[in-house]
Amino acid sequence: MTESRKTTDSTVVELRGAAFGYAGRSRVARLDLDIEAGSAVALIGPNGSGKSTLLQGILGLAELTEGTMKVLGTTPAAARKQIGSLPQADSRNAELPVSLRQVVAMGMYRALGPLRPLGRSGHRTVDAALDRVGLSAFSNRLFGELSGGQQQRGILARALVSDPRLLLLDEPFNGLDRENRDTLLSLVRELRAEGRTVIVSTHDLEIAQQACTHALLLASGHTADEPGHPASFGRVREALTLEAVEHAFHDATVEIDGHTLTAPSHDHTDTRNEPADRSAGTASRRRRKAD
Amino acid sequence: MDLGLLEALQLPFMARALATLAVLSVAAGIVGLGISFREMEFVSDGMVHAVFPGLVVGAALGGTAGLLPGAVVAALAAAVLFTLLDRRGGAGSDAAIAVGLTGLFSLGVVLVSKQRGYVAQLQDLLFGHLLTVTEAQLWQIIVVAILAVIVMLLTGRAQLFRAFDPEGFRAAGFSVLRTDLALSAATAMLVVAGVQALGVLMVVAMLTVPMAVARLLTRRLAWLVPVAIAVPLLCGVLGLWWSFVWSVEHDLAVSPGALVVLLLVAAYLLAVVLRVVLRRRGSAVPA
Repeated sequence: MTESRKTTDSTVVELRGAAFGYAGRSRVARLDLDIEAGSAVALIGPNGSGKSTLLQGILGLAELTEGTMKVLGTTPAAARKQIGSLPQADSRNAELPVSLRQVVAMGMYRALGPLRPLGRSGHRTVDAALDRVGLSAFSNRLFGELSGGQQQRGILARALVSDPRLLLLDEPFNGLDRENRDTLLSLVRELRAEGRTVIVSTHDLEIAQQACTHALLLASGHTADEPGHPASFGRVREALTLEAVEHAFHDATVEIDGHTLTAPSHDHTDTRNEPADRSAGTASRRRRKAD
Repeated sequence: MDLGLLEALQLPFMARALATLAVLSVAAGIVGLGISFREMEFVSDGMVHAVFPGLVVGAALGGTAGLLPGAVVAALAAAVLFTLLDRRGGAGSDAAIAVGLTGLFSLGVVLVSKQRGYVAQLQDLLFGHLLTVTEAQLWQIIVVAILAVIVMLLTGRAQLFRAFDPEGFRAAGFSVLRTDLALSAATAMLVVAGVQALGVLMVVAMLTVPMAVARLLTRRLAWLVPVAIAVPLLCGVLGLWWSFVWSVEHDLAVSPGALVVLLLVAAYLLAVVLRVVLRRRGSAVPA
């Protein structure tokens, strides 16, 4: 979070003193960072720290209440064609009788316009996206009949059909079983390796360690009116220090990878030393014992 | 008089009634998909009630020829109002729509009761006059229904995406407000098309029941609209025929519009039973 950074052509998201919110009220503020092409950034923080608001801000759907922002060198609205989005699972109406294939095709609606048929190349693109997320065999299943993990992968396929340079994934790992989680993690790694930029919000520190190059830890405000703000940003190993996690979650006791880490103030224990292949490592707030 | 079904339907007033129902069935099948997917049944009921004062004012100013313009103005105003209320969301929006629909309906009744011979007029507006649809009215219905269908075809993909995943829809760069207004306008136009034939109280059945039946009978998107068109067509033919037979053979004047609506409701109940039976059979089959 240096003050004076030189923006390069490879900068995908550039935030300078940015704050985002709704109805003129900032929900997340003091954002001053560059996200480079090919990086995968884990957006970590407790509820209310502004993770989703930041993602919405990058999409241009939350207000930029302070500072400046560039996405893919331009405004979010102009960049939107090159952005793929996986919103939170609860935003979908899985009761609707739409097949997985129809859902994935929705990712092409913008480019197709109201009437142009999907055509052979469109069908091939949908097939390729489904194949990529390992759901070819489920193509004609109703979306609502798929498991939570398969649904998430289906929505990722929908984001991929437009061949996006930037992918924004909002809590994609919530409620996933191990198998679906691992599949999604390896997909994130593959996408990054292709030079795409991925920003993924999560409560899960293990995901940052396994699939991301960078982490942005967001802390919630001390009061309801105070917006969330960054606690640390940088390469995963540098950003995910226990001190930063403590700052973000306002708690000295955090569970990571099934290990409970209790640190006195100013302890610089680094989470990178923790094993990462245990059960889902969720950063959870614990109540401090009253003295 | 002993006419068969085909002969009866060839009588000019019966043919016009059937053509009216056919046009409404096709348009309602298409617009109804949007209403059903967006769970806008209550809002469309509100819109139907809001059209009522427009009809009354239109009739007062221009007689029968004033009905359509009055209804169009009221329906489009209601479409914008209800879309904005729905957009505001929260617990208050349904209450506001309920207040709006009863208020506007009462306004219509007050306005119509100032006219002479208002009981007959009120009956026509409330229950429609399917058998006395004139050729000019049929053409009006066709034009308005075609407009509603065009709006739906031009926004069909957006409507589906918006209903399935509003967040993803916005993220893809679509406008929620524009899409919602388009659906409300299409619904309003269908209300206008149907209200003269079926009346204020029954047109909402045409907007909502066929698609509800279709959703019970099939879970394939491609089949929903054809089923939602076929069901009211069948109910329309049967309703018109029975109403005609009872009137001619038994001297019973039964409202054909109401009969069609009753048949639609019967189709819905049948579909519910069928769905339950099929589900039980499905669950009895070992996985």
